[in-house]
Amino acid sequence: MDIRKFFGVVPPGKRQECEAVKKSEKVKNGEGESSGKKRGKETKVKSSPSEDVPKQKQAYKKKRIIYDSDSEEEAQSVKKAKQQTEKKVATPKPGKVLKQHPVVYVSETDEDDDFVNKRISLKPKENGTSAISSPGAATTKKGDVKPQAKTKPLSPVKLTPTSALDYFGTRSVQRSEKKLVASKRKEPSQSRDSTLDDEAIARQLQLEEDSELERQLHEDEEFARTLAMLDETPQKKKARRDSEEHAVLNVKSSPNVTERCKQSQRAKATNSAGEVKEQTRSENSKEPTLHPQSSDGKMARALTEKTLPLKPTSKLVALKQKEETTKKERGAQSLQSKEKNVMGKEEKRTPKKEKISPKKAESISPEDSEKRRNNYQAYRSFLNREGPKALGSKEIPQGAENCLEGLTFVITGVLESIERDEAKSLIERYGGKVTGSVSKKTNYLVMGRDCGQSKCEKASTLGTKIIDEDGLFDLVRTMPGKKSKYELAAETEAKKAETSHKKTPQKTESGKRNCSPLKREADRKKSNFTPEKGGTFKSVKKEAAAVRKLTDFKHQTVQKKEAPRPKGAVVSEGSENRTETLLWVDKYKPTSLKSIIGQQGEQSCANKLLRWLRSWHKHASEDGQAKPSKSGGKDDGTSFKAALLSGPPGVGKTTTASLVCKELGYSYVELNASDTRSKSSLKEVVAESLNNTSIKDFCSGTSSSVSGKHVLIMDEVDGMAGNEDRGGIQGAMMSIAFKEGLKIPPPAMNEIILAANQDIRQVLHNLNMWCAKDKSLTYDEAKADASRARKDIKLGPFDVVRKVFAAGEEASRMSLIDKSDLFFHDYSLAPLFVQENYVHVKPAAAGGDLKKHLMLLSRAADSICDGDLVDKQIRSKQNWNLLPTQAIYSSVLPGELMRGYMSQFPVFPTWLGKFSSTGKHERIVQELAMHMSLRTHACKRTVNMEYLSPLRDALVQPLKDMGADGARDAIAFMDSYCLMKEDIENIMEISMWGGKPSPFSKLDPKVKAAFTRAYNRDVHLTPYSLHSVKTLRRQSGSMGSSEPSEELNVEEIPSDEDEQDTVESDAMIKLL
Amino acid sequence: MSLWADKYRPSTLSRLDFHREQAAQLRSLVQCGDFPHLLVYGPSGAGKKTRIMCLLRELYGAGVEKLRIEHQSITAPSKKKIEISTIASNYHLEVNPSDAGNNDRVVIQELLKTVAQSQQLETSTQRDFKVVLLTEVDKLTKDAQHALRRTMEKYMATCRLILCCNSISKIIGPIQSRCLTVRVPAPSIEDICHVLSSVCKKEGLTLPQELAQRLAEKSGRNLRKALLMCESCRVQQYPFSADQEVPEMDWEIYLRETANAIVSQQTPQRLLEVRGRLYELLTHCIPPEIIMKGLLTELLNNCDGQLKGEVAQMAAFYEHRLQLGSKAIYHLEAFVAKFMAIYKKFMEDGLDDMMF
Repeated sequence: MDIRKFFGVVPPGKRQECEAVKKSEKVKNGEGESSGKKRGKETKVKSSPSEDVPKQKQAYKKKRIIYDSDSEEEAQSVKKAKQQTEKKVATPKPGKVLKQHPVVYVSETDEDDDFVNKRISLKPKENGTSAISSPGAATTKKGDVKPQAKTKPLSPVKLTPTSALDYFGTRSVQRSEKKLVASKRKEPSQSRDSTLDDEAIARQLQLEEDSELERQLHEDEEFARTLAMLDETPQKKKARRDSEEHAVLNVKSSPNVTERCKQSQRAKATNSAGEVKEQTRSENSKEPTLHPQSSDGKMARALTEKTLPLKPTSKLVALKQKEETTKKERGAQSLQSKEKNVMGKEEKRTPKKEKISPKKAESISPEDSEKRRNNYQAYRSFLNREGPKALGSKEIPQGAENCLEGLTFVITGVLESIERDEAKSLIERYGGKVTGSVSKKTNYLVMGRDCGQSKCEKASTLGTKIIDEDGLFDLVRTMPGKKSKYELAAETEAKKAETSHKKTPQKTESGKRNCSPLKREADRKKSNFTPEKGGTFKSVKKEAAAVRKLTDFKHQTVQKKEAPRPKGAVVSEGSENRTETLLWVDKYKPTSLKSIIGQQGEQSCANKLLRWLRSWHKHASEDGQAKPSKSGGKDDGTSFKAALLSGPPGVGKTTTASLVCKELGYSYVELNASDTRSKSSLKEVVAESLNNTSIKDFCSGTSSSVSGKHVLIMDEVDGMAGNEDRGGIQGAMMSIAFKEGLKIPPPAMNEIILAANQDIRQVLHNLNMWCAKDKSLTYDEAKADASRARKDIKLGPFDVVRKVFAAGEEASRMSLIDKSDLFFHDYSLAPLFVQENYVHVKPAAAGGDLKKHLMLLSRAADSICDGDLVDKQIRSKQNWNLLPTQAIYSSVLPGELMRGYMSQFPVFPTWLGKFSSTGKHERIVQELAMHMSLRTHACKRTVNMEYLSPLRDALVQPLKDMGADGARDAIAFMDSYCLMKEDIENIMEISMWGGKPSPFSKLDPKVKAAFTRAYNRDVHLTPYSLHSVKTLRRQSGSMGSSEPSEELNVEEIPSDEDEQDTVESDAMIKLL
Repeated sequence: MSLWADKYRPSTLSRLDFHREQAAQLRSLVQCGDFPHLLVYGPSGAGKKTRIMCLLRELYGAGVEKLRIEHQSITAPSKKKIEISTIASNYHLEVNPSDAGNNDRVVIQELLKTVAQSQQLETSTQRDFKVVLLTEVDKLTKDAQHALRRTMEKYMATCRLILCCNSISKIIGPIQSRCLTVRVPAPSIEDICHVLSSVCKKEGLTLPQELAQRLAEKSGRNLRKALLMCESCRVQQYPFSADQEVPEMDWEIYLRETANAIVSQQTPQRLLEVRGRLYELLTHCIPPEIIMKGLLTELLNNCDGQLKGEVAQMAAFYEHRLQLGSKAIYHLEAFVAKFMAIYKKFMEDGLDDMMF
């Protein structure tokens, strides 16, 4: 019903519900935020339970309970949320507090923001506990709370050990939660003594963790965040599954704890083994070794082997079993903690590595975009430079894989034996990076002939090593191969994931936890993620507690009620399978604002949109229940009522819009191009959505407050630019590729991204396709594939003509078809452009020899002529199938002959302009010829070529010679040739040659004025009709001609002086 | 007051100044009161139109000289309105169908039919046919020419056609065979000289024989042109002197300069300049074949004997393709480029030969 569900983001309605519950209390946002922050800190730190925190937590619980009443739809989202739970910290404390202050409502109100997040988390209960809890919310609350309370004291213990894991696996925490839950459950029930020891260790560990946290905080970067988010999203799904399994486990295990444990576990193990395998296959596949953390994993494994005789099931299953048997668990914990202490160094190392990789990636991104720009410019100027003189004279060396990894090059000047593009691709092939300008990060400046002055200077000031092309080749030859940073990052990631699987639940959990607080502190504002998780975690716990509390009999009912649960599991399994079939585009769709690539900055489009939407109500209606907008910026467009997101396809406009809505808890209606969007239909939809309240709102009885919060997303209105952050895209794509088990070297990925014109969607589609065939791609393969997939970008005619004559590598890459395809970008304009510009090209083939150059010019011109002949055939006989022939003649052949350096920007074809002015002249001449035809009997061509000059002279001469007195003569002449004043102007215009002024314009203005006056004084008779006064004229009808209908046009004039007598008798019509 | 060329245009067959035998034949042709369709062709300025008008006057009397200009609008089957102006007397209709461009077929069909289908009422005093004079028939599209074929036969009773054109090479055979073709050759130099001096005499001027000769030669045996030039000379300088400079048409001057530009330098830059000049000529509606011819004439003056043949053949080749193609500038430019290439090679080879 609601997309939000699928993304597991906070359903907007819930927040309001919470508020509704509190009823009398007014929500103060500011307070809520601040308190929320506080809490966030506290939870992260996991400091000893303080009273404030517990209160808040209680509040959450209550809320949760309230939510329980909600429809089950949300169950799914809840599940998701559960998996994300990274804060176990929260759970223990609340429990303790609960005991002390069973119900503290006050705090709730303060934490509105967090509510939103936690609401979801509340749901988990619905499934498990809600069944138990009857409609009365208040009563259920207490009931729920108490069981939890018992469990809570223990939980801190678990938390602490897990924290150690944080160091290892920040990102790939997948299974962790279920383990946690399980452990918590059992610990309380079985042994309390252990907790004490554990607590001590935990505290120690926590100290470490905190320091680590802080460190990370400072280092944390947006990019790292995005990457992390990306990684998390897919895991969620798995985690969800896990949680479900847990649920099942819980149900089974709770009644009789330890005894049944093994059996049930085994049963489950077998059941779930299949699933688990599926899920983990990708991650497990890389399990094996190298990683420092793996030791932990091994330990864990060893443990499991000891404790559990299970063999065929996957290690994961084994882990689960471990979890449930508390003894083992404890053992594992202690072991782990020891390990951690021992391996502190190692641990520290690994996180560092992780951090490094994102940093690198980030550094690429701005540079990369800059590089593109610079390259373009450089290429422009490069075109005007002479090409390499000794192309191919040197052998291009083969180097070790990724031998230039991490090195940044700047190429300046013309390299003698290798095209610049080639050099670039050489460097990129070996993992190096080529940027356009020298910066601190630049390692080498490759200098060639005519190098850029500024670059050299900058390089020397920055201490960059300056090498020539030989140096570059040497570098390639000698540098040892490395692993690409992406690979490294991905590997570490994978290992983490793997180890986390193997490790005891706490470890993995801690991994997640580590992640979330980090993020949260980095951008506290949007900390909806973390609280969510905390919430879910709690809820899970509650559930567990509730279940435990049940008597056997009750348990049965629970089971019954939970019957849908297994189903749910099945469903989720199905959905899991579905994700396999999902397009990657959908699979890796960002699920929160923070995971949108390139939109992390405070000033990013997404955030702007967020702020705008947040303050919309405040601005639209003064009494809005608007939340305080954090942005003080004046450019947030608050005065506007709607926002327009625009940008190239695939940058994530729709995603951003919907995520922003979700973030703020607005429900939205999305209308895209597939919907009719007439005014009336729009009205209908909007009205409907405004009147509607979702069922869940209705159930909670808060529907009235919901109404104002709708957003209408008009998608595909036609036609939010990301910041062309290829580096960011690359990193994200690499991680996705890795997760899908696709091996692609970073340069290859770069090629693919370039080919898709930075369209993430396209990149994903392409990857999806290629990986279907083969799971690994080499640079060259990718390059070939990428060029094949290169989006058909429509080129403008200027680009076309530039490409037609482009020399060097660009041309050599193009096949004949490519070349003739250029023609088809605009087949009517392309030949004109080619013809206009072929003279401007310096053909490389001529080698500066004028004779050869002229010969080539002539041959190109001949070919263009052939093209023209074909064109005539096409247009006159509609032989459109000849177009390819014309393409060859008009574009390919001239291009082939003249290939070289164009000395200037392509010129727009003058032919078009000339053609139209020819047409104009022709019309003028025709009119002139018609006017004079009674006198001259000449066709227009004769008039044009023979009469024009004498006519002009005859008109101008008297004026020139006699001044104003000559006007009479001139007018007499005009009358004899039936010319009008306009004709004079026309004659003057078309008898101008080469831009020289006409003799008429050189006349004295006074004379001209006199001439005009004299002309206007008299009435001039013309034998032809004037179109402008057509309707005024009526023929006196003397000559009954054959066309009566045309009479109005019929006028007469004596054709010759000989018949003077007839002139008077003829019907002459006065014109004007 | 009008230009001499128009002022002294003869109006009867008997007053024609040259090709008198042909004039006599035409008269005898018309004498019997009837004549077949005529196809009159010949170079510009040879007096075709004059001859036709004389013929019509012979046939219908002075009435044909009362002309009027009519604007007709014809609706094409495609609902497109075509405006065309005709010159008509009571007895004949003159139309240039090529003014309608690609729709000339419609003009032929509609206009001709309306004229031909109307019978003359008073056959006792008048001829029982009207004459339709079609000018520039060689510019007609093939469609229009085919439309003409059947009409010519079908309305023979009420309508005679006189087709007037410069060259019959572009007229389809069926039409040629349906007409009596009358070739009006360009007047000889002597004829022109004779006409010039007689006109000058009528104007009260004395024209030196040498100047007349030069004018005749310069005009390319185009009488109208010769007369116009003569008048220009009169404006320029009177009394005439034998070695007086003969004024040329603007476009001729421009074309010659263009040719000189080609010969003086052969570089891509120059080719660009020449292209600009060619465009200028074309926009002034100078027919590309005239340009080609003018260029060739000028270029040949600068070529050695051996090269001449080659260049002339080249020009013929490109001129032919120019007729086949649609964008004249391409072919003119290709010709210029080719000439430049050959000329450059020729010159440099010549230099090399001289050096070694």
